[in-house]
Amino acid sequence: MIDALFLTLSALAIWSGWRVFRVDSMVRASFLLMVSFIAVGLIAVLLAAPYIGIATIFMMAVEMMVMALFMVMFMMNPAGLNPMVMVHQHRFAVVAGIVAFAGLTAAALLSDLPSRPVPESAEVVRALGHELLGPSMLIFETAGVTLLATMIGAVVLSARSGRYGDSDAGSVPPGLTPGGEPAGRKPDDGRGRPHHHGGQ
Amino acid sequence: MSWLSTLAHDAEIAVFAAVGQHGLGLTETLGRQRGVRLVSSPRHARVLLVAGEVESAQARALERLHAQIPPPRGTVWWQAPRLFERGETVIGDDPGEAIRRAAGADDPEQRPDVPPHPWRGMGPHGQGGHGMMGGNPYGRPMAMTADDIRDGLTLDAYSARFGPFLPALPPGLVLDLTMQGDVIVSAAAASPPYPQGPEGDAPTLCAARMLRLMGIGPRAAHARGALMALPKGSGMRRRLAAWLRGETVTESPAPPPNALPGREWAEAVLWLASFPPSRLRAVCPEEAA
Amino acid sequence: MIAATFALLLSLPLLVWVAAMFDRIGAGRGRVVMAPLQNGAALLLRPNTETEAPDQLNRLLAPGWYLALALVGLSVVPFAPGVVASDIATGLVLWGACEALTVVVVFLHGWSPNSPLPLIGAYRYVAIGLPAMLLSMFVLIGAALPAQSLSVAEVVEAQRDLWNVVRQPLGLPLFMALGLAITLRGPFDFAEGAELAGGASAEESGPALAAWRFARAAMLVAFSAMAATAFLGGYLGPVLPGPAWLLLKTLAVMAAAVAAGRFFARMPPARMLTFLWVVLLPLSFANLALVGVEALP
Repeated sequence: MIDALFLTLSALAIWSGWRVFRVDSMVRASFLLMVSFIAVGLIAVLLAAPYIGIATIFMMAVEMMVMALFMVMFMMNPAGLNPMVMVHQHRFAVVAGIVAFAGLTAAALLSDLPSRPVPESAEVVRALGHELLGPSMLIFETAGVTLLATMIGAVVLSARSGRYGDSDAGSVPPGLTPGGEPAGRKPDDGRGRPHHHGGQ
Repeated sequence: MSWLSTLAHDAEIAVFAAVGQHGLGLTETLGRQRGVRLVSSPRHARVLLVAGEVESAQARALERLHAQIPPPRGTVWWQAPRLFERGETVIGDDPGEAIRRAAGADDPEQRPDVPPHPWRGMGPHGQGGHGMMGGNPYGRPMAMTADDIRDGLTLDAYSARFGPFLPALPPGLVLDLTMQGDVIVSAAAASPPYPQGPEGDAPTLCAARMLRLMGIGPRAAHARGALMALPKGSGMRRRLAAWLRGETVTESPAPPPNALPGREWAEAVLWLASFPPSRLRAVCPEEAA
Repeated sequence: MIAATFALLLSLPLLVWVAAMFDRIGAGRGRVVMAPLQNGAALLLRPNTETEAPDQLNRLLAPGWYLALALVGLSVVPFAPGVVASDIATGLVLWGACEALTVVVVFLHGWSPNSPLPLIGAYRYVAIGLPAMLLSMFVLIGAALPAQSLSVAEVVEAQRDLWNVVRQPLGLPLFMALGLAITLRGPFDFAEGAELAGGASAEESGPALAAWRFARAAMLVAFSAMAATAFLGGYLGPVLPGPAWLLLKTLAVMAAAVAAGRFFARMPPARMLTFLWVVLLPLSFANLALVGVEALP
């Protein structure tokens, strides 16, 4: 029973992963990727890691939704009304894919994985807590603060109230000399007409 | 399936109201009609009710609407001259009987089922488009990237015509909109709203229409919250509050082509509904298109 | 476990019927008992509509996924001590996954017919649905803290002395916001609101529309049962047997959700987005902080 489920889910994960590159629409591609991840999450549930498995489903649903949302917003043709090719740099991608697959397979098959069953009574959460706030504290705190700074920076940069005034009012940095040219990078095509990608 | 039909026999009749001239007040009385339910999309309807006269210039739009009601469908012309040979005409104040008869009718197709833009066999895949975003794939113009009017990000812009019978817009108003997501980038009024007479400007009706767009019924307790829900600064709160107090509003809006760009769809629809139909009609040019 | 699944499948259609009755009362329309069945039957006899170049598969499957998510969400709710359809230790996370996938399904429902109004509905629903879901995660973590477990059964047992609705008064109202969002209702109905002429469902008719509305009501049932379990002590209560208490509490939450949907006006989405991020999310943090302080030994 479990074996059959495992094989079905693996097949689903691989098939939907392959379809990601074959469909002609970016929305379909993102949700196929989601299906692939859901199958992987369910495999994790089968492997007696329910939290990891269900959390994967949860996270992937949100992530792929955000991705699809941005595609509808930013991109021409998210629905694939005009068929489009979903892959770029074909040859390089094929080679990179084979190398990565071979490398990961080799790592999984050849490395000598430790086999130390955790005793039932082990307090894993407590051990994790001691690790996080003990020897590894510097690493985790550094990473945490960096991530937080990145998030705040991204919000500040994308906010309407930009660094140099409202973004819809131009948000131009002041000149280096009084009354001089605005500092910073110049937009390449000015703020002129939208650039069209083909079509009428 | 006979038990299903038996069960469905006493169901409410789903009616889509296409409101014409002086039809707004008429449509509001339908809420009291037993066994009739007004729906907001022609796809959900069984019967097309044309309430008030529709100009022959918009016969084509009405025919399209008729075709959008899934068959079998029926038509009732309520205080409206017939623009095509379907359904029956009602002159009096109560269309109930005619609607019930129309719920058993089966109008034939009024328009041939063809896309607005021919597309079959055109383009490299026969889908009517070309390149990644050109042409009219499957009969619709493809969205094009354009600078967002708020921050200049390049987002897809989509142009389409809305109205004259979209229930969220004042009846008769036809807008040619270009939208990015649900933000209106540019607007043109192709045809003004229909005259509704003084009853169209009645405070209770105007307030009820606005509250309906916000998903609530016209009760006093709801209305305070509705005022809070409206965005500040566009006078919508002031006008709704006046209507709720029972006062008529005499403000005139700025012409929609100037006022709508930059607003997002729900806000634009509420803004349009926050003016009396007569005032809105006065600022829309008669023959703009 | 099998008995619980069976009971769940049997009771869901009845509860969906009750939900439709509540909706009729909320809308102030007569013939409360029979009209939902009659209107549903009439809808089933109408044809489905074709649109130009839709995504057939997703259009067909969206109502089914929505119903399936409601069922999976409902399956983690225990009916009585030890009686639960899916007995997993991470029930709250599973419910969270159902919430997240609901947003995806509503998006697909609006995206697949290839039509502007449904797409606008789907698209802005995502913008509102994601923060609403984030909110519910913090609230549910709050509900899980006193139980020190993500298992729904443990969450109920932890409420033997004091229900969570008393212990964390902000939790249930905030969770209701999520309920309104995932059941496309009232102030959070950005997918199918009146201003979009039916929005995400504007192109649907016949059995497809009937299935979608059934699934929507089923989601209301699932949400109400979950809210009753996480905040109102689930099956706990004197005299009456556990399942009866759960049923009563579920019906109460359902009525409250319908009433809230009719009472609060829908803001334009931009305003709602600000309200969610600036008011409701900080409130959920405050709730979590309060619960955390309380849970300290």
